[in-house]
Amino acid sequence: MFRAVFRLSSTGARCLVRSKPSISAPLASRCYSHGRVETDEEFDARWVTYFSKPDIDAWELRKGMNTLIGYDLVPEAKIVDSALRACRRLNDMASAIRILEAVKDKAGPHKEIYPYLIQELQPTLSELGISTPEQLGMDKL
Amino acid sequence: MSLQKPLMRGLLAKRLRFHVPIAFALSMLAAVGWKYGVTEPRKQAYADFYKHYDAVKEFTGMREAGVFESVRPSGE
Repeated sequence: MFRAVFRLSSTGARCLVRSKPSISAPLASRCYSHGRVETDEEFDARWVTYFSKPDIDAWELRKGMNTLIGYDLVPEAKIVDSALRACRRLNDMASAIRILEAVKDKAGPHKEIYPYLIQELQPTLSELGISTPEQLGMDKL
Repeated sequence: MSLQKPLMRGLLAKRLRFHVPIAFALSMLAAVGWKYGVTEPRKQAYADFYKHYDAVKEFTGMREAGVFESVRPSGE
């Protein structure tokens, strides 16, 4: 558990907006005056690896998701896929559906993001037998 | 028909970069507007009132009106 925390603490979500980062600049970056900034691909790969741990435990899943949700981004489909498979290993259907709700919420007013993610995740959802909140009628108040 | 990949990163940063300067500008505008629309006229009104204010004359007028307890009108 502490190893997981240590790995997560090396990512930073806060960046002083002194320099104006362009859209292509990696986010979730610390503004070091030294040292390299992590690219988007490295960031994604690190999170896919985190959720791919074969013996991931429930705490690590929750911690990972909560940390991921704290970033200024909607997680890539491959990260969500890895997280959903971790839910499968933990027999946690509730968290799988919650993850889908969370990424929809992260998109905020940008309504085109969630349908795109569902489109990309459809094979995984079918394979793992995960229903979307919409299919369960849980998206209505 | 499959959907195109939308922009998924830095959405909040983009929003802030747009809205925060506007918010700052509007706040400065409100502050400057208040200063020159409200506080300066008020200060000027006080200054104008006291520019030719004769305290002794005002006091004598009040004294003759009999509103003081410590000093009676000059006639009594």
